[in-house]
Amino acid sequence: MLLKAILVGLWVTWAIIDEQTLQLQTTRPIITGVVVGLIMGDLQTGLVVGATVEMMFLAVVFVGTAIPPDPTLAAAIATAFAVFAGGNTELAVATAIPIALIGQTITTLQYGVVNVALLHWADKSVAKGELKGVRRANYVALAFNLLFYGLPTFLAVYFGAEFVEPIIAMIPEQIISGLAVGGGMIGAVGFGLLLSTIKVKKLWPYFIVGYIAAAFLGINMLGIGLIAVAAVSLHQIFTSGKNTAEAA
Amino acid sequence: MKNTDQRLTRKDLWKILRNQMFIRSALNFERQQCIGFTQAMGPIIEKYYDTPEEKTQAMERHMELFLTQPMVSAIPVGVAAAMEERLATEGDVDPSAISAVKTALMGPLAALGDSLINGTARPILAGIACGLALQGSILGPLLFLVGMSIITLGVRYFGVFKGYEKGVTLVADLQRSGLISKITELAAVAAFVIIGGFTPGVVSLNTSLAYTAGDTVISLQQTLDGLLPGILPVGLTLLMFYLVSKKKVSPIVLMLALMAAGVAGTYLGIF
Repeated sequence: MLLKAILVGLWVTWAIIDEQTLQLQTTRPIITGVVVGLIMGDLQTGLVVGATVEMMFLAVVFVGTAIPPDPTLAAAIATAFAVFAGGNTELAVATAIPIALIGQTITTLQYGVVNVALLHWADKSVAKGELKGVRRANYVALAFNLLFYGLPTFLAVYFGAEFVEPIIAMIPEQIISGLAVGGGMIGAVGFGLLLSTIKVKKLWPYFIVGYIAAAFLGINMLGIGLIAVAAVSLHQIFTSGKNTAEAA
Repeated sequence: MKNTDQRLTRKDLWKILRNQMFIRSALNFERQQCIGFTQAMGPIIEKYYDTPEEKTQAMERHMELFLTQPMVSAIPVGVAAAMEERLATEGDVDPSAISAVKTALMGPLAALGDSLINGTARPILAGIACGLALQGSILGPLLFLVGMSIITLGVRYFGVFKGYEKGVTLVADLQRSGLISKITELAAVAAFVIIGGFTPGVVSLNTSLAYTAGDTVISLQQTLDGLLPGILPVGLTLLMFYLVSKKKVSPIVLMLALMAAGVAGTYLGIF
């Protein structure tokens, strides 16, 4: 378990570093859940928990400087706990939001305290005309992720193995399944947020197109993606004002 | 000053691209991505400036507040590179114009990057990946990773190289042609289709309420499915939209309220 916990902690550290540099999106639950599943030796649980937590955070886009709940810690720890509980994914969904809020607090601390201190450290190098101090501030900021995200993940996985089962045994079944029901609804907050960021309100009819395709016709998400492509192309054709000449 | 007769080479631009990757590494609440932006300008400062005083002056220009979506920040990095080069080689650029251009680009690009990449492309790819993952296939997550890697690295490459090549004219072009508002409108079309289409599958909300009349049990869920399938998740999403945008309720509060509602509803036998 020591080795697995270390590997999960290192993966989370990498995922956060990725988010703060390249942004290949390894930080997303659909990737982190799968990788943690592989490390824990239960790919199937990793796929299910990764996808379930991803759907909770699918559309959570916070604009500007607001810090969103952290989906990476949530997916990693929830996947490990689900494996400990013998593939119980309900439990994973129930734990994801509290863990994500802890992650959000850590991020706020990182941006608000540690990185502000690093900024003032970098300012001193700038005053001396030393570029390397600026780079150093960035690299040190990245290194702090091991302490901020890697260590808590390691501790949760390492000690969780022992405590997850007895704790679940203590909690009434209805609370766990109730939390899972709540987790299933969380995705609505993300989509509500995404809707509120759309500036062009007159385009609401396209919402109904997507809804009918999925709910009435049962078209899967790949199909919905293709319908979106078609809708964008048609909208472009019909609003560009060049289509009338040929029609005449 | 040194090398004032040389323009930036492709090798220099690659160096800028590599350093641009650190744009948000030390993101902070005081001046946001300023440390990353200064690092991205590093290759230029090293190429043209000699004395510590000159370097300090050049770095201080970029240690001002800067914040935009990290991937599309490559565009202002490319544009600023072109202006810095001009300032060092010809000297006919007002240093304050560099800050002004960066500031002008920040807002529109953040909106564009957030809505196109974080709000449209990523949810589409992630939604498809989730569908495949729930069927037990690792192919979906792999496609998601490859697709997003192409987007993030492609956007950054385009930003640094095109931003440099077009320089300030890129800013003028974008504003004059109305391209940004056109893209914003098309992104809204895609977002509406995706949100309408993904909500019934991604948000799960079913009720176990039933109406018993004599021997017949009428399930509310079955009745709803017959009339308007998926109306509960879609209705919940619209309610969340209303609370977020009209009532300004914090999304965190809504998330916690939904978790509590799940537990309460389970005890009451609603779900």
